[in-house]
Amino acid sequence: MAEPAPPPAAELALRRRLPPRLPRRPGDVYVNMQTDFKAQLSRCQKLLGPGGGCAEICIHGLGLAINRAINIALQLQAGGAGALQLHAHTSTVPLADGLEPRGDEDGRPPLARARNNSAIHIRVCRAAAPP
Amino acid sequence: MSNAREKKRAKKMRNQPASVTLSSDCGPCHSGIQHHNGGSRSFQTPKQDLHPDSSQEFQQQRHQHQSPGPSYRKEQYFSKGQNRVERGRGRGGWRGGRQNVSQEMPKYVTASTFAQARAAEINAMLKAVTQKSSNSLVFQTLPRHMRRRAMSHNIKRLPRRLREIARKEAEKAVHQKKEHSKNKCRKARRRHVNLVVEFNRRQKKNIWLETHIWHAKRFHMVKKWGYCLGDRPTTKSYRACYRAMTKHCLLQDLSYYCCLELNGKEEELLKVLARMCSIDTGPTFAAVPCLSGRLQGSLVLYRVDRYPEDFLGPITFIWKPKAGSGITSETRQLWIWTHPSLKQDILTELKTVFQCSEPVETCSPEPIVTLLQEEKQTDVAMIVGKKRKREDNEGEKALPVKKIIGDGTRVPLQSYCWTSQTTGVVISDLTMEILRYRLIGPLSHCVLTEVLKTASIHTEMADGETELNNWWVENCKNSEKVSLHQRQEAIFELLQGISSPSEIAAGTILGLTVGDPRVNLPKKRSKAMPNPEKYQDNEKVRQLLLEGVPVECAHSFIWDQTICKNVTENKISEQDLNHMRGELLVPGSQLDLGPCESKIPILLVQQPGKVAGEDRPGWGSGWDIYLPKGWGMAFWIPFVYRGARVGGLQEGLKHSEYKRTPYVPNDFPDCPAGIQFAKELENILLEKFKRRPPAKRANYVKLGTLAPFLCPWGQLTRDWEVRNKALEESVVTSSADSKSCATERQVPCEPKPGLIIEDSQGDMMEEMTEIQNLCKEDGAATSSGFFVLRNRKLLKQLSASCRPTCGKGQRVRPASKLGQKEMTEDALLPIFKCYPRVLVWVSLSLLRKGSPELHAMICIPTQEDFLQLNKDQLFCGPKEPKHSDTFKHKILKLKERKKKKNNGKALESGASDALEAKAVEEPKELILGLWPDPLPDVTSHCSRILLGFVTQGDFSLAAGCGEALGFVNLTGLLHMLSSQPADKKGLVLLRTPASLQYRFARLNIEV
Repeated sequence: MAEPAPPPAAELALRRRLPPRLPRRPGDVYVNMQTDFKAQLSRCQKLLGPGGGCAEICIHGLGLAINRAINIALQLQAGGAGALQLHAHTSTVPLADGLEPRGDEDGRPPLARARNNSAIHIRVCRAAAPP
Repeated sequence: MSNAREKKRAKKMRNQPASVTLSSDCGPCHSGIQHHNGGSRSFQTPKQDLHPDSSQEFQQQRHQHQSPGPSYRKEQYFSKGQNRVERGRGRGGWRGGRQNVSQEMPKYVTASTFAQARAAEINAMLKAVTQKSSNSLVFQTLPRHMRRRAMSHNIKRLPRRLREIARKEAEKAVHQKKEHSKNKCRKARRRHVNLVVEFNRRQKKNIWLETHIWHAKRFHMVKKWGYCLGDRPTTKSYRACYRAMTKHCLLQDLSYYCCLELNGKEEELLKVLARMCSIDTGPTFAAVPCLSGRLQGSLVLYRVDRYPEDFLGPITFIWKPKAGSGITSETRQLWIWTHPSLKQDILTELKTVFQCSEPVETCSPEPIVTLLQEEKQTDVAMIVGKKRKREDNEGEKALPVKKIIGDGTRVPLQSYCWTSQTTGVVISDLTMEILRYRLIGPLSHCVLTEVLKTASIHTEMADGETELNNWWVENCKNSEKVSLHQRQEAIFELLQGISSPSEIAAGTILGLTVGDPRVNLPKKRSKAMPNPEKYQDNEKVRQLLLEGVPVECAHSFIWDQTICKNVTENKISEQDLNHMRGELLVPGSQLDLGPCESKIPILLVQQPGKVAGEDRPGWGSGWDIYLPKGWGMAFWIPFVYRGARVGGLQEGLKHSEYKRTPYVPNDFPDCPAGIQFAKELENILLEKFKRRPPAKRANYVKLGTLAPFLCPWGQLTRDWEVRNKALEESVVTSSADSKSCATERQVPCEPKPGLIIEDSQGDMMEEMTEIQNLCKEDGAATSSGFFVLRNRKLLKQLSASCRPTCGKGQRVRPASKLGQKEMTEDALLPIFKCYPRVLVWVSLSLLRKGSPELHAMICIPTQEDFLQLNKDQLFCGPKEPKHSDTFKHKILKLKERKKKKNNGKALESGASDALEAKAVEEPKELILGLWPDPLPDVTSHCSRILLGFVTQGDFSLAAGCGEALGFVNLTGLLHMLSSQPADKKGLVLLRTPASLQYRFARLNIEV
């Protein structure tokens, strides 16, 4: 998107807001970079495993976490002995960064600035019964 | 025998009959008779003392009276005790007895005297048995296996032989019980009229919120700041409330917050208010988005022209949106919301600044007056006649009015509205006029949208009623206003498609007019869940997120006091509503009131959650809802029925702790309310400490904790100042100074790309001059105490310099930031010289184990500690060597002296004067385990140098480790940072007051 004129320096502080997200189903896993990789992987395994209650799960990764989301999905598949299928979709997520004025200057600054980021959504489901 | 033993015996013998000892005349004879009657035993044991028979007699009696049951035990006990005494007494005369007895063995005994003597003894014993000496009730003395449930309630559950005694005891207890309103039976007391009278009486001293009764049934209530507030739920819900904050929705009643309204010309207001705050601390009243009425602002207030010293407190403010556009000189309305503990200070300051001294008479609304009259009458009746009479009086009159109108909030005769002759500014105190609820959590959108239904448009008046909704009908006749209402409604509907309030701009204001929320109350408590259908990739939602709510949509009728009054007075009562529900043709179907339905103007204000810091952005965000008074419960129950969990003050504290924001008034040590709070807290903790037996107390002197119950900020800053001076003298200062200045001049020229927040050279220069100004100011007023650094720019620089530059877990920061950091290192040096007595708000998170507590000490780690940490990754932290308690000896000595004095006093009363003189000499009572008042140098008392104290600390459920918030001294912080290695920057040691173990923690300054 076309950058508007850069805001007058030193008067604005940029605060990242949360990305928009859909209401969560039980099978939705949002991958982040704070949680341990192993913990996230095991969460997915638990969901897919017996008693997890999910026939299929959806792994969402945004920005930096895309790599990790892919990694988790591949690890799942490798550990699933061919019983799992992956369907990956990519998308673009519109983000908003809040701009916070630091003074009282009348610049009529916008409240937020739009930004886009890439995201991946991987659907992991059990494959049809092997022949 | 020692004194204590004697006393003990005396106590035991208190209830024993005194006549047990034998008369002397039968003394010599009884042994003889035993010889005759009792058989050969005394012969076999010639060593027996003078009264061997008496003990034996007891034994016999015991066998005779053998009966099961506890009362017997008591008997035994007494007889034993008596026995022992007898024996003891006998032992004294034993030696003599032995010599004499064998020689003076009587030849005969008179049966009648002997029997008399025994009878007297038996009588005495029986008397002793019937009298009980302990304080316990009868059923309490029963052995455990004979106890039954509800014994105290029903005598018949006791063994029969004890019933008589128990009955007597029960009668006694009935007499002792306080008699409460004997002339009223429960039914009378619970009658609505009397109940309301009672409620009104009980809330005279501490004001009740509208949700008080609801809270009182479910919460531990505390009396604070002149209100009765729910502290925490009585159910176990610590974790559940946390989950509600993070995942669902937590509801809080913040109606105790105070609203001050300022009315006047915009220029006038801004001109004066600008003197009470500083642009350094963030946007002020004049910030453009706030001034237009789009956003709620928050700032910190100082006394006029006293920045940065005389701190008043943090506030939030809302400007009423402009009616017309572009005219700056029109009168504006400004709401300032404060915490009740800060209100008086801020109000008096505002009044003096605006020269508002004249109370406005017309402001006092009528219902208060009528109610007051009524109250007066009832009071008079109470004084004159009996209670019964008063009741009659009331029966004739109308029912007492329920006090929902916020009457009790202020002293009735005192005015709450002031105006100024010169400027025409009107200040009014709207406390309790407007209710405020807070919803925290991502599902607050769902709860809000399910509870609130926007008002339907009516152009015709409801028949019969004259007052109800007439403002709304008037409004609906104007097509412009109708379209505005529809736009507001559309925006409100959009909220359903946004999953978290933190996605919206901080402080967004949305005005709304809603229908009665009681009408569509669900039958059962249910949980509002998001509806995926509403989440379409909507262009409108995106626009809302980017541009926020348009200015005109922030308009609400809640600003108009006459409308608010109308709405409050014309509320349909719960009873009427239920009656109408009962008359529905299909039971349980939706009630449709049509034009009769009340329309309530409300204001929705977004509360930003966690804004500072890197992790968990937007945590704990939510909406505040402002309502006109009287409608509290009507909105409260629907919220609760939609699955909002209710929290009290404790939950509010946790919320701010996890958000890492200071909590009012605990974390504002430099404002009057904060000082007051610290004092109260110290008293409470000290009382608690003193209640423990001295042997079970923590000895804080030995633990090296100088001030376990309060944070001596004044002394801490003073000690650091002294320390700093000493350091400076040792180092040659002049060259260092010039060098730092030089680097500072160069550094701002470095390019810092990729950053929005930059300090251009001009800014830097500005800062320097400002610092110099501050220096001057400080020079003028060094005698005054410390203050807290709230300058955003300086805090930002400090925060950058606290971060480790290289480390294992640390992500690589952009080079530009590094560059900035380098600059600040040197730039900061001159700053701290200008701020000798400054505290900085910091957050600490522990690296490993440990959960910090209130008043934990923040200390500087030494080089050896870092070496240890490098060597052993699991190293918890160093330990403080045990200190010696020099005061223990003194206290003991004092005690002994006192005792002696007391004894002496008992002997001769003349010595009392000298004792008093001595007491005067003692400056303060020494308490075992606490350091007496003039503390030594707090910074260097322990093995690690003290930096500051923790004001909030706990295991953080949000972060998953121990976290603490507190203040450190700026001088000390800079001193520490300058000496730490790059990868260990910002590491400090934490030690709780009752422990010797230090723990490593990372220090962060979040701006």
